[in-house]
Amino acid sequence: MADLVQEIEAHIAGAKAATAKQTIGIIREIGDGVAKVEGLGDVMLNEMLDFGQGITGLALNLDETEVGVIILGDYTRLEEGAEVRATGKLLQVPVGKGLLGRVVNTLGEPLDGKGPIPRTAAYPVEKVAPGIIKRRSIGQPVQTGIMPIDAMIPIGRGQRELIIGDRSTGKTTICIDTMISQARLNKAAEAAGDTSYRPLYSIYVAIGQKQSTIARIIGTLEKEGAMPYSIILASPAADSATSQYLAPFAGAAMGEWFMDNGMDALIVYDDLSKHAVAYRQVSLVLKRPSGREAYPGDVFYLHSRLLERAARVGEKYGNGSLTALPIIETQSGDVSAYIPTNVISITDGQIFLETDLFYQGIRPAISVGISVSRVGSAAQLKAMKQVAGQLKGDLAQFRELAAFAQFGSELDTATQAKIDRGKRIVELFKQPQYSPIPVEVQVAVIWAVQNGYVDDVPVERIKEFQAGWTDFLTTRKGELLKKIGAEKSLSPELTGALKAAADQFKQTWK
Amino acid sequence: MKTTRKSKRAARQLFRLSMADGRLDDARVRQIARRIAESKRRGTLAVLSDFQRLVRLERDRHTAIVESATPLTDDVRRDVQESLTRRYGGALATAFSEKPELIGGMRIKIASDVYDGSVRARLAALESSL
Repeated sequence: MADLVQEIEAHIAGAKAATAKQTIGIIREIGDGVAKVEGLGDVMLNEMLDFGQGITGLALNLDETEVGVIILGDYTRLEEGAEVRATGKLLQVPVGKGLLGRVVNTLGEPLDGKGPIPRTAAYPVEKVAPGIIKRRSIGQPVQTGIMPIDAMIPIGRGQRELIIGDRSTGKTTICIDTMISQARLNKAAEAAGDTSYRPLYSIYVAIGQKQSTIARIIGTLEKEGAMPYSIILASPAADSATSQYLAPFAGAAMGEWFMDNGMDALIVYDDLSKHAVAYRQVSLVLKRPSGREAYPGDVFYLHSRLLERAARVGEKYGNGSLTALPIIETQSGDVSAYIPTNVISITDGQIFLETDLFYQGIRPAISVGISVSRVGSAAQLKAMKQVAGQLKGDLAQFRELAAFAQFGSELDTATQAKIDRGKRIVELFKQPQYSPIPVEVQVAVIWAVQNGYVDDVPVERIKEFQAGWTDFLTTRKGELLKKIGAEKSLSPELTGALKAAADQFKQTWK
Repeated sequence: MKTTRKSKRAARQLFRLSMADGRLDDARVRQIARRIAESKRRGTLAVLSDFQRLVRLERDRHTAIVESATPLTDDVRRDVQESLTRRYGGALATAFSEKPELIGGMRIKIASDVYDGSVRARLAALESSL
């Protein structure tokens, strides 16, 4: 027994308590979610700081004698004179597949009450975008399931396509539809055991949105079965400006994990106008010099470094991609304001939504004239390219002719035919929300229009015709649709089969 | 805004003048502080408080505060002083004080560097890890 005691005593004597060096600072000033901290000798830029009570800060301004810190969380509980500890870590968020189906805040903490998130890996919030060597050009499509977009403004995996428009013109709806479409495609490929299909995971970043809006979006995604393939990162209007400012970067980090691991992801930033406003607030309380519209000088860099992180990387680097769909809200259609012009110039194209079109009942209210996709056509399905090649031009011509035709009734037959065709295309492109259309069906429908099968259908009955034709194809010509999807282009045989099917349908449809 | 920047710059200049051989010269600091206070110019108070801050930070950088739960023996004090001097150089003033709320162990603070080996800190770490 005595030996045992001696042994323990020897252990105690031998035990050496190593005390690590810590770096601390003292809060000198606090307010508006920003603290000035004195001390903090060797703190890094963007380092996480521990304020105690579970509150984290981020070192953003390193001055000669003090550090400007933005506080994530409830800053009202902090006091002047309190100690702040440096953690030696850059701001990180959890990443990985464990986040799918979850609703998290800027720091990746769950908000949905579904228990803790398995923490497998963490990524720094601020990360340098993939370089030139790592990238490759866009070659795979993102099927949004929205006919006018897939036909005229195609989006490729790794692209950055801006969705811009006034309030309540359906910007968010386009993105939610795209997310639902991806979920359906993923599910279909899973069910069919198709290993060649690369699933596309979605991340929705809500910045400065109303809680009720976010709740509605989550409800929709749950109802449509898209949640298992989606991550919702919510930084609602009630959150501090600092966490709103960091939210898209945290979302990008979560998306980058998929890209780095050879998977494809889609990220929606809803919306970057509110993000710019949150960043302006942070900058102003940090007393950084302000520029145009009181935005700080680096507001362009803020968005460019965020959107640069969307990329398609080469085979050698995993062949993953991150597609970004940033949203910008304009004021009464003014695309030449400061933030819209910035983001337009950064992205690879934009989808412009117009209030007028929206109230004319053309929904999605895409203005074809100024919507473009700079790189997406390279990724468009060949079959779609074959049928929709001239669609954009036709539609633009129709708009011009229609405006001209309002003044006189005398028109030659060629012009009248163009106008009639245009009216039918516009009607065809109307699509209710949350109902994405599979790309094979889109191809078949547009093929029917381009080959004159709807010219004798009255404009009011176009939607009815489309529904009937879709129904006919899915129930009776499922094989044909499958073939279009598999071959990805319209060979003469497929065109022949389509023609036969269309003729058959035309005979029965009254 | 401009006046704060100006006073800060002035305070920094005065602070630089109060250094001798890379160390703070107490006599110069006193003299400068007195002269600023006597000056009838506008914004002297701001300059003085900025100056005071710089002096305080400089003094903190060369002062080690050693806190312990119980009074330290002379041997331990010498040990602590020696190891601190090895790490931070000779020009280090050491102030010892007692702080029963540490429960046990020692806490050393030099400017923003802290070596916390107190029982209280360990309990806090344990609490946060649970």
